[in-house]
Amino acid sequence: MNRAVARIFVVAVVLFVALIVNLTYWMVVRAEDLRTAPENHRRIAQEMKHPRGDLLAYDGSVLAGSVRRSGYYRRRYPQGSLAPHLLGYDSVRYGRTGLEAELNELLTGESLELGTQGWVDRILGRRPDGADVRLTLVPAVQRAAQQALKGQTGAVVALDPGTGAVIAAASAPSFDLRRLEDRWDAYSSDASAPLFDRALQGLFVPGSAFKVVTAAAALDDGAVDPESRFTDTGTYVVYGGKVTNYGGAVYGLHDFTTGLTLSINTTFGKVGNDVGRKKLTAGAEAFGFWQRPPLALPAKAVAVSGRYRDGALLEPTEDMDPLGTAWFACGQENALASPLQMALVAGAVANGGRVMVPYLVYEVLGADGTTVTTAEPEMWLEAMTPQTAATLNTMMQRVVTAGTGTGAALEGIPVAGKTGTGEKGDGTNVAWFIGFAPADDPQVAVAVAIDGVSATGGEVAAPIAAAVLRAALEQVSLP
Amino acid sequence: MKPRTVELLFLVLAGAAATMAYVSVYAGRYGEVSQASIVYALFFVGVFVALHFVVRWLLPLADPYLLPVTALLCALGLTAIYRLDPRLAQLQGRWLLVGAALFILTVVVVRDPLRLDRYRYVIGAIGLGLLVLTIVAGTEVRGARLWIRLFGMSIQPSEFAKLAIVVFLAGYLDDKKVMLSVPTRRLLGVPVPATKYFGPLLIMWVLSLVMLVFMKDFGMSLLFMAVFVALLYMATTRIVYVVLGAGLFAAAAAFALAVVPHVRDRFDIWIDPWRYAETTGYQLLQSLFTMADGGVVGAGFGRGYLLYSAGDPVVPDMATDFIFTALANEMGLLGAVAVILCFLLFVWRGFRVAVWAPDGFSKLLAGGLATAFGLQTFIIIGGVTRLIPLTGVTLPFVSYGGSSIVANFILVALLLMVSHRTAVVHSGDEVQRRRLAELR
Repeated sequence: MNRAVARIFVVAVVLFVALIVNLTYWMVVRAEDLRTAPENHRRIAQEMKHPRGDLLAYDGSVLAGSVRRSGYYRRRYPQGSLAPHLLGYDSVRYGRTGLEAELNELLTGESLELGTQGWVDRILGRRPDGADVRLTLVPAVQRAAQQALKGQTGAVVALDPGTGAVIAAASAPSFDLRRLEDRWDAYSSDASAPLFDRALQGLFVPGSAFKVVTAAAALDDGAVDPESRFTDTGTYVVYGGKVTNYGGAVYGLHDFTTGLTLSINTTFGKVGNDVGRKKLTAGAEAFGFWQRPPLALPAKAVAVSGRYRDGALLEPTEDMDPLGTAWFACGQENALASPLQMALVAGAVANGGRVMVPYLVYEVLGADGTTVTTAEPEMWLEAMTPQTAATLNTMMQRVVTAGTGTGAALEGIPVAGKTGTGEKGDGTNVAWFIGFAPADDPQVAVAVAIDGVSATGGEVAAPIAAAVLRAALEQVSLP
Repeated sequence: MKPRTVELLFLVLAGAAATMAYVSVYAGRYGEVSQASIVYALFFVGVFVALHFVVRWLLPLADPYLLPVTALLCALGLTAIYRLDPRLAQLQGRWLLVGAALFILTVVVVRDPLRLDRYRYVIGAIGLGLLVLTIVAGTEVRGARLWIRLFGMSIQPSEFAKLAIVVFLAGYLDDKKVMLSVPTRRLLGVPVPATKYFGPLLIMWVLSLVMLVFMKDFGMSLLFMAVFVALLYMATTRIVYVVLGAGLFAAAAAFALAVVPHVRDRFDIWIDPWRYAETTGYQLLQSLFTMADGGVVGAGFGRGYLLYSAGDPVVPDMATDFIFTALANEMGLLGAVAVILCFLLFVWRGFRVAVWAPDGFSKLLAGGLATAFGLQTFIIIGGVTRLIPLTGVTLPFVSYGGSSIVANFILVALLLMVSHRTAVVHSGDEVQRRRLAELR
């Protein structure tokens, strides 16, 4: 019997040794692989032992600060949940998104941009404190945008057309950065997708707001000028189909400026075919369609605008018949655009035809308070000639003074803009307004998209744009 | 040195370690060392000193290492639970008292384990009844039906059934071992005993199969089957039972894999947790990540990242099934290996008692208890470290859980009683011998 007992004990010893060998395998041999696995957010916990750099607004106020609690530095948000989608969350449990992810190496102090460390520091594993990052966001404008979006589903993007600095980017419904971990289940299961950033990632039917792109391509091409005359009978019959106006309206004899002012579909359908599919598509590409706007964020955080079918981006060369081209010129026919892209469209008109590279980081401040890097505005694309931009600017001012966009008018300040009412095909619309102000010296360009409404862009989106433009122009200093 | 002196010495060491660990966690949580933390630690030491005196009084020659190891494991468990959730630690502290009380009760009432043999069928029936009760009246938690609700408490009867069945089998197999080991015929050239003696083997096999299918718990099923096979082997020394038992269990496992989705899930996660990283594999992966963060020396008690800001643990069920993960994170590889060695020490003392035990029943009882204890430890540590498929059993004395801690206190009491009897028989201590004899 004792022999059997001893044998079983030997088996027990073997099993326990197997436990120890296996444990050593995970805790030493494979430890590094486990720590760096993409599914593992625990390295965030390691980084939380060091103070994390602040995310500052353009005015220097703290958007996301760092506070020490039971040995770990955690985020605090002294201004509440301002721009939560853009800042992104910083959670050991759910990972990092937005700027927290994009700027992580700067915020933790690991980035080489912050200067090389001495070899003593490197051996001892010391590293510089995280850098503070000053963003281009202006809290008052951001707050105005979030306030204006309350209760809606949609987004606002405001930027400086001359530099590309993003002043505000808001998405609704939104979430509270301070309560993310508590409310994660509710947020992630909510059908209204509050975690989804509609401003940069959202793609909506641009509808008539796209007519700015069509007009730029047509004016550049010489196919039309503002005085070109058109006759509207309420329908434009083409290629076995027809283009009709919103609400079945009939406008009769009018010029091209009036066509934009009143957003006449038949006219833009004809213009689209006059320009032709290829040049129209090339015109859109010149504004940034079919490219990812080069905003420094994780790639999946910024959507590509263009034509989509079944969720997949179509090639710009994909064929369209003249009926399709006519509707594409009116921002339908599978066209989808992000609010960011449409703000860049408005900004291009405001900036003499030049699309600036959009950016969010104004400057990086080292732990000692010195400036490490400062943003240099760069041109991204030339969407149209300066002459065309000037012409279109004048035409777009008419939209606000005498057309569909009167809701965006500001007292004493000329505003240029274009409304849009993208028909989603399910009976609801996407209401758009894109524009800029002051029209004679543009400081801020804006795009507003409100999803799932029955009203038009002029009714819903234009007043929101006015509120955001007003808040921006009240600022003493913009990036 | 007398065994009780050794015991007291090691208990003092365990108490000191417990106090340090507790103070460290308290400091990590509240940023201060307070009197309260030391008072709690002293209360804990007091409980074990009380047990020591009961043993000194009734079982003076019992093994001196079992109680200190128990104290050390309890201290680690309480500290780790306190670190995760002070409210749970209070409950566990209460269960520790209940366990200590039952320990004393067992020692005082039973005194000599041989007396249990007289009630073997009653005890066996109680064990079986507890399992049947779980299957009939049990509630499912995380897919396994292991608990019954009683007076607002969750009780895990299988922990007690485990002890009862070991006691029963020790007596039964000791009686029948001769018949079981005499081959009467050959099957495929292998000598096998008469068919009727396979009855118990088949009954146990059916029982473990029933547990597998109805309780959906692979761990407990494996534990029961393996303890039974080990006892059969110890009683008969015939390896054929081990081979047969392993084969039968493998067949049962294959059957469960095909029929019980919960078991299948556990198996799939074990093969490739990365594929289910966001769903069923989340828990196991987080466990590995958390251990990997511990490194060689660990984060230090109270200083690892084990709780999210909302207060829930980084690995679901961390205070129960995944307590070892918490220990590995904060104590590092060195500490975690030390914990495994503590368990091995306990198992070694158990088998040592079995080897020296003067009679078959005592041998099988000690061997069976040591096997059950060791195997349960292996199943849960192997599970959370992905050595074997994960099944939720408790880590003895360490995991949060009232049934587990109480049952294991009884287990220690039984082992100490067997070891006392063994030492008395071997030592020739006339006083003690007479005292034992009077009990019969």
